[in-house]
Amino acid sequence: MSIFNKTPLRNDDDARRPGAGAHEGATSEAPTPVAPASRKGSSVAKRKNLGVGSFVLLALGAFVFLFPFYYMFIGSLQTSPDTSVAGAFPSPANITGENYSNINNSIDLLKGLVNSGIFTGGVIFFTVVFGLLVGYALAQMQFRGKGVVFGMMLLVQMIPFQLLLIPLYVMIVRDYGLADTYLGMILPFAINSTAVFVFRQYFMQLPSTLFEAARIDGASELRILWQIAIPLVRPAIVTAILLTFIGPWNEFLWPFLVTKDQAIQPLAVSLANYISNIAATASNPFGAILAGACVLAAPAVALFIFFQRQFISTNIGSSVKG
Amino acid sequence: MSLRSAGGPATGDTAGRTVDQRQAPRKRKNFLGRQPLGLLFSAPYVIFVLAVLAYPLGYAVYISFHQFFFTAPGVQVDRPFVGLDNYISVLSDPEVQRSFANIGVFLIINVPLTVGLSLVLANALNRVTRLKTFFRVSYYVPYVTASVAVVGVWLFLFQQDGLVNSILGPLAPNPSWLTNSWLAMPTVALYVTWKQLGFFILLYLAALQNIPDELYESASVDGGNKWVQFWNITVPGVRSASVLVTLLATITGANLFTEPYLLTGGGGPDGASTSPVFLMYQKGILQGNPDVAAALGVVLVIGVLLIALIQKRLVGGKED
Amino acid sequence: MKHGKISSRVLSLTAIAVIGAGLAACGGGASSSTASGANSATTAKGPIKIWYSNNEFEVKWGKDMVASWNAAHPDQQVDAQEIPAGKSSEEVIGAAITAGNAPCLVFNTAPVAVPQFQKQGGLVPLDSFPDGAQYIKDRTGDLANQYKSSDGKTYQLPWKSNPVVLFYNKDVFAKAGLDPEKPKLATQSEFLDTARTLVKSGAVANAVWPSPTSDFYQPWFDFYPFYAANSGGTTLLKDGKSTFDSDQGKQVATMFQTLYKENLASKEAYKGDSFADGKAGMSLAGPWAVAAYKGKVNWGTVPVPGTQAQTDGSTFSDAKNIAMYSSCKNQGTAWEVMKFATSKEQDGKLLSGTGQMPMRKDLATTYADYFNQNPAYKTFADEAARTVEVPNVSNSVQIWQTFRDAWSKSVIFGNQSIDDAFKGASDKINQLAAQK
Repeated sequence: MSIFNKTPLRNDDDARRPGAGAHEGATSEAPTPVAPASRKGSSVAKRKNLGVGSFVLLALGAFVFLFPFYYMFIGSLQTSPDTSVAGAFPSPANITGENYSNINNSIDLLKGLVNSGIFTGGVIFFTVVFGLLVGYALAQMQFRGKGVVFGMMLLVQMIPFQLLLIPLYVMIVRDYGLADTYLGMILPFAINSTAVFVFRQYFMQLPSTLFEAARIDGASELRILWQIAIPLVRPAIVTAILLTFIGPWNEFLWPFLVTKDQAIQPLAVSLANYISNIAATASNPFGAILAGACVLAAPAVALFIFFQRQFISTNIGSSVKG
Repeated sequence: MSLRSAGGPATGDTAGRTVDQRQAPRKRKNFLGRQPLGLLFSAPYVIFVLAVLAYPLGYAVYISFHQFFFTAPGVQVDRPFVGLDNYISVLSDPEVQRSFANIGVFLIINVPLTVGLSLVLANALNRVTRLKTFFRVSYYVPYVTASVAVVGVWLFLFQQDGLVNSILGPLAPNPSWLTNSWLAMPTVALYVTWKQLGFFILLYLAALQNIPDELYESASVDGGNKWVQFWNITVPGVRSASVLVTLLATITGANLFTEPYLLTGGGGPDGASTSPVFLMYQKGILQGNPDVAAALGVVLVIGVLLIALIQKRLVGGKED
Repeated sequence: MKHGKISSRVLSLTAIAVIGAGLAACGGGASSSTASGANSATTAKGPIKIWYSNNEFEVKWGKDMVASWNAAHPDQQVDAQEIPAGKSSEEVIGAAITAGNAPCLVFNTAPVAVPQFQKQGGLVPLDSFPDGAQYIKDRTGDLANQYKSSDGKTYQLPWKSNPVVLFYNKDVFAKAGLDPEKPKLATQSEFLDTARTLVKSGAVANAVWPSPTSDFYQPWFDFYPFYAANSGGTTLLKDGKSTFDSDQGKQVATMFQTLYKENLASKEAYKGDSFADGKAGMSLAGPWAVAAYKGKVNWGTVPVPGTQAQTDGSTFSDAKNIAMYSSCKNQGTAWEVMKFATSKEQDGKLLSGTGQMPMRKDLATTYADYFNQNPAYKTFADEAARTVEVPNVSNSVQIWQTFRDAWSKSVIFGNQSIDDAFKGASDKINQLAAQK
């Protein structure tokens, strides 16, 4: 197993490195045998009798994790902020949708959503295309310089994005003239080493004899990738998409710097602006901020819940086996 | 995996790639490996890394050794080489020293907490059968949500007359959490732990799948209780994941920015929660001294690299 | 064995990065030279882009102004947009200068940022227009001298100020048993007594609530107005030397320290407007705030108190100016727009639309009708003649940050004595101001 990878995960939105966002784990240096899928099922079944203490612990933890979100929602509906203990329960006298209508009047939510969608979609597209290519090459092809490519992926993860921010900004905006374009937003995020790790890991689990046979039959590498390898790793693609999604969707600093034109700003940027500038003049600033937070959080959370089956340990897990 | 032929220096990669594109089909195939096309497949990624990361990184290193400020296009200014001046002014700045100390505090709280909690919760999640999906989702939700969004509710919860203090009543700290020099950084560390834990649980859950059930079975035959099993089987079983989690948490801590920026209003109170990256932003972008900021960034990267190497040597070395 | 491999890769990649640095160095030096075309640029006419503040009243004024200009100049259209918002607009403008995509004019240029923009080569000196210097002098009078840069040129057109005064909540004062019409706020010791009464009577949680965050610009809304009032309008630096490490400066610091110590002011940042939300009984703000307090607070104003009662106390200007950015192609048009937007007519519209004070000499007489109809604004017009600006020196942002850090440490959080903190900050600031 190896170490350097990685991606810090937090701060999806601030400035971190381009291409972060998705975070996964590591990867192993040595080929990992394909994990028998059956193992997991059986272990759960056998150990379920141990579940009571765990259940209590988990319930407690879930409360700690979910409560702020519940409180965020309640707070976003309050006419005036109520920070007492009673305020944590909805009271009909103190409920309003005004905070939401305030937001909707100040920013074009739909346009923000569309822009976020284009930005995120573009990042996912590049990530998947580049990731599949290099992931396959690293896993199933032998070529000179492979070790360097791999080492590069590891180093990439350690650099704070702030260090690159200004040079990158000058390059994208001044040298390439990509200010106020979707491409300018997307480019620094178009490579995502995390996705590469995921793909590489999946491809490595496929038996290499499969590919050798295809090569002997005279199939081109591109055709092998497209017709044999990719269909076998569909779950990896879904995982990579979900992991990649988090980054650009929540990213704030970079699109904020690159887009001066409100017409193409993603939702996270317009909401952050709303929070920092306009909320203070709203009748209930905290309510307005929390309402903004709910609007920003809802699509990511909904998508995640919808696809949560794909986002499970075994998918990502394949990359952490040491 | 590394079947690459012995000793190719780093530059072999770039050189190899150009060669590949021109004359790959001919004799040099062996020199380039059995599937030289792999270079072509890697090329988009590598070119992107060079353009989007290596070049700006190199530029940042260049900046850190010169007297540098950003100018409008076409403006000619002197950018004399100043040697280590920027590094000296960074390392002798008490604010910078403070920020590194803050990160130390952060790591001391955040890393053990993250490793411990995520392992215990992942272990529990692995065993529980009812409501498994619900629990899993609840732990991941903070992780998938933008910091900009959740910071708002933390401010609301932890402010002077916020819910946390109302519940604590007379036990509430004074000054309150985020304005208390002693509590600001721990509160930030707590926040980050909460925000990230879902991802680390995910990593541990994956690692737990790899512990063969036979180990637990034989342990229960030998009469070990759950606690003993946990210590003797689970903890060593996920060791490689623990190394990874430790490293990731460390890198996360070193890159702390959003929290001091939004949660404690610019590293307050009185610098008690500044971080190196926040100072980079303050010095480089706000105050127009990118040379000093770049030097700080280089120091930070080197520091992280060193810690990572040490951690790997200490914890991760004896595997397999 | 794996160690070795990874370390060597990391090393070799570092090598690549260093090579990259070399390349970057070459690339960086080879930037094209221009500047010879300056003369033709200052006369060029054609469409231009401008940014204005995102304050809703200013946006309205800006849209009207641009519409009337565009109607009269079909071949020189102005494309106007709100300044892309961030935590501070200086960041956005600085980045745009570097990238070369700043607009022609920004109607929200903070004087504190001008030295930095100027150093970046991002600004057009207004003296390069034949009537530039004269126009500014005629419009603003002697106050304009504060906006000259150290090289003797003027890179900003003094546009409008927001003289900071002390707002107080009349209802809260009445509740605390104080006279809302004649509040005892003439001197700083009266101010302190009033603050104590407000909080102790339970009328309000905080007497004042200046933002305690460490942003470099916060001193403008706590220390600086009081210091200006205390010192007869001394700026933070005079002739390149800091002035605040003095009895007058420390007296203000001690007063604020007392406010924080006695919990008359909160050490926690407030997300909204503490005064408008009734969380603080008094507030330091300019006339822009009148619109924000409308319908929320029954307010009154007094000048910022000094040590002694005075009738001609100075205050901080909180001015925003118009600057022209060097990436502008049609500077001739930009200059005409600048003059158009600061004409007597447009200034009048700005005043009535936003309540902010155009920086014109004889403000009160020029718009006498307005001030007669809106007596509440008279205080501001009166103060506008005696405003103090941030000193126009290099490293100004860093200088204010240094001051703010010392203030946080000593006054707000009490981790250092005011004497030590001010002495240290003063020395460091003198050093910063001396650098080029």
